[in-house]
Amino acid sequence: MKINAKKFIAGNGIINIFSFACMLLSTAVNATPDAQVLLKQADRARGGGLPGIVWDIRLTSRDGDKIAEPQRLQVRAVDDASVAEVLEPPRSRGSKILQVEHNMWLTRPGLSKPIPISPRQRMSGQASNGDIAATNYAGDYEAKLVSEEKLNGELCYVLELTARHKRTTYDKIRYWISVEREVGVKAEFYSISGKLLKTALFKYDNTIQYGEKRISFVSSMLIKDALIDAETTMKFGTVVVKKIPSSEFDLGQMQ
Amino acid sequence: MKINHKQMHKPLPASPSQGRSNLISPPVKGELEGVWLMYIRKKFVRLNSALLFLLFSMNYIHAHAEEDALNFSADGALYGYATSTALRSDSLLNPDNQLARLPQHTQTAEARFNFKAENDNLRLTLRPILLWQQNSNEFGEQVKSEGYVSQGQLRWRMAEAWNVAAGREVMNWGPAQFRSPSNPFYFDNGRSNPIRELSGLDSVKVSWTPDTRYSMSLGYIASSGHYEGPTDTWRDTWIFRGTSRGMKWAGGVAVAKKEGQQDFVGVDAQYNKSDELLLYGEAGSSTRPNALQSPADAAQPFSIEAESARHLNELVGATYTLDNGQSLSVEYLHQGHGFTASEEAAYFERAANATLPAGASTLGMALANVPPLLGRNYVHLVWQNNFLEGDYYWRLMWTRSLTDHGNQLTGYAEMTLSKLVSGFVLGVLPLGNERQEFSSMIGRLATAGIKVNLP
Repeated sequence: MKINAKKFIAGNGIINIFSFACMLLSTAVNATPDAQVLLKQADRARGGGLPGIVWDIRLTSRDGDKIAEPQRLQVRAVDDASVAEVLEPPRSRGSKILQVEHNMWLTRPGLSKPIPISPRQRMSGQASNGDIAATNYAGDYEAKLVSEEKLNGELCYVLELTARHKRTTYDKIRYWISVEREVGVKAEFYSISGKLLKTALFKYDNTIQYGEKRISFVSSMLIKDALIDAETTMKFGTVVVKKIPSSEFDLGQMQ
Repeated sequence: MKINHKQMHKPLPASPSQGRSNLISPPVKGELEGVWLMYIRKKFVRLNSALLFLLFSMNYIHAHAEEDALNFSADGALYGYATSTALRSDSLLNPDNQLARLPQHTQTAEARFNFKAENDNLRLTLRPILLWQQNSNEFGEQVKSEGYVSQGQLRWRMAEAWNVAAGREVMNWGPAQFRSPSNPFYFDNGRSNPIRELSGLDSVKVSWTPDTRYSMSLGYIASSGHYEGPTDTWRDTWIFRGTSRGMKWAGGVAVAKKEGQQDFVGVDAQYNKSDELLLYGEAGSSTRPNALQSPADAAQPFSIEAESARHLNELVGATYTLDNGQSLSVEYLHQGHGFTASEEAAYFERAANATLPAGASTLGMALANVPPLLGRNYVHLVWQNNFLEGDYYWRLMWTRSLTDHGNQLTGYAEMTLSKLVSGFVLGVLPLGNERQEFSSMIGRLATAGIKVNLP
């Protein structure tokens, strides 16, 4: 069927101009996706925005030539709180690190009373509490889309994240989100002065059931220290999405 | 024979108040058989109570196991350590160790276990401890062996925000390291000696936790637990505890109510000023039962007040974390119940004038009814490495009494020797004379031992 362009424009002028404008707008939207929406989608594959998650994490660390004893943790997390319980090695078994907002405590069986931990202490080591807890970058950071680039052959959006408040583990993050899979595949963590602290690479071989959907979920995270020759691998095992009662994050009920 | 029931742990004989607990020892054979019978009966009743509690709990959990899968876990550690204590021969409070008969050499073997069974709604925890201890001094040797449940609790989540817990629980809170003025039960919070095991209070507790920011609990203390003395200090006590947590701060309030005694009110708070700096404080207002009075005039005798006037104990502190994760803490404690400098001087003067055997009752009174710390003002410094580092941990402490100007240095170190074995040492060095609190009874103390974690 042939369309007479002149008649078409004359007869449907207003409608067509409107349609054309919508098309342009849609193209523009597709060209520059909302950075905050991208971040929210990526968070979900790392536990953010879920009612609560329980996951097992295996940690192996290397500092120069020294290989630390592997650790196994069980982490229960909601948006503003988490509790990580050490399952292995035996000498640390039962130790728990509780985080509520910006406050942290360490407790373990037989310890006379919980010990408050400063934010600087939680930063020490390759895997800080900000890494083992659920990720809520969308809530904690302001995102800005800065470019697109290929990472290992996969096209990624590159986001610059700036902390909205002081309770975040890191001040700035450069975050690569896969265009196709909508998950974060690489992150660079910076201090407030702009010094690169760590780099992390993510894999998503787990899947979780959330409502009616099955979604990809983080399965490993390789964290490399940018200042010294050290790295930590975190492997995420069993992941369960469920609502966790608030009493799990109450220091007075942790016996 | 005095039994210190105010300090529910195994303290070091580093001060008169701490040394008192070492007065615990079985009676001499044939001397107090009635006491032995009571002792054995009490142990039997306790053991049966613990077993009944365990059986009830296991049965309850088994009955509910079908509703939700239970996870069981168990672990434990074996401890072996030896302590050597150099006593002051010129001690005024315990001349030639004739009164307190403190052990000079102690060998201890302990097995500490943790059992846990839990699902989404129930949690049973048990921490049984088996202890064998050999104490010796110039008067002889004494062997003690016992098994007890240090902590054990059945917790039931009966609704989304409501929990009920029953059992033996260490109700310790607050950020302070030296002492915890906000806590009616554990003023000496055990932080100064990591080897020490605090034992819980037997209680029933209802908790309401609507979200992660607030919680409230109301508990009833049935007894002081394992270290309960002949007159149980905390039997029939009600305890209310409310806590709140903000973005950078956390705090709580506690009120303890016991019939025949004025209420205890305590508050605690901590504030993350920056990533490096933590500021905190604790305070408690209370009276003391059977409080020793030491008039500043040494010619006046000691007296015991059935219930002292209400006083405030308060502590303020700050912890600064260095780049390498090590931290420096400084704390200042004002103990309203403590003696002033002149009262403390008179306290030691009376002890000096009480020669044995005639002065035994005076010295006994001086040892048994003193405030938790003798003086009124203290400074406590702590330098320690990051306890989140796995292979080793060390901690150095310096405490100064601003009342009598005595000092005490304490060091603790723990190092991993293999996957399952770690070694630890503890040293206490009081600096001062026989008329200063820390150095009034001991010259030095050293403990060394190993810990074997069960795989």
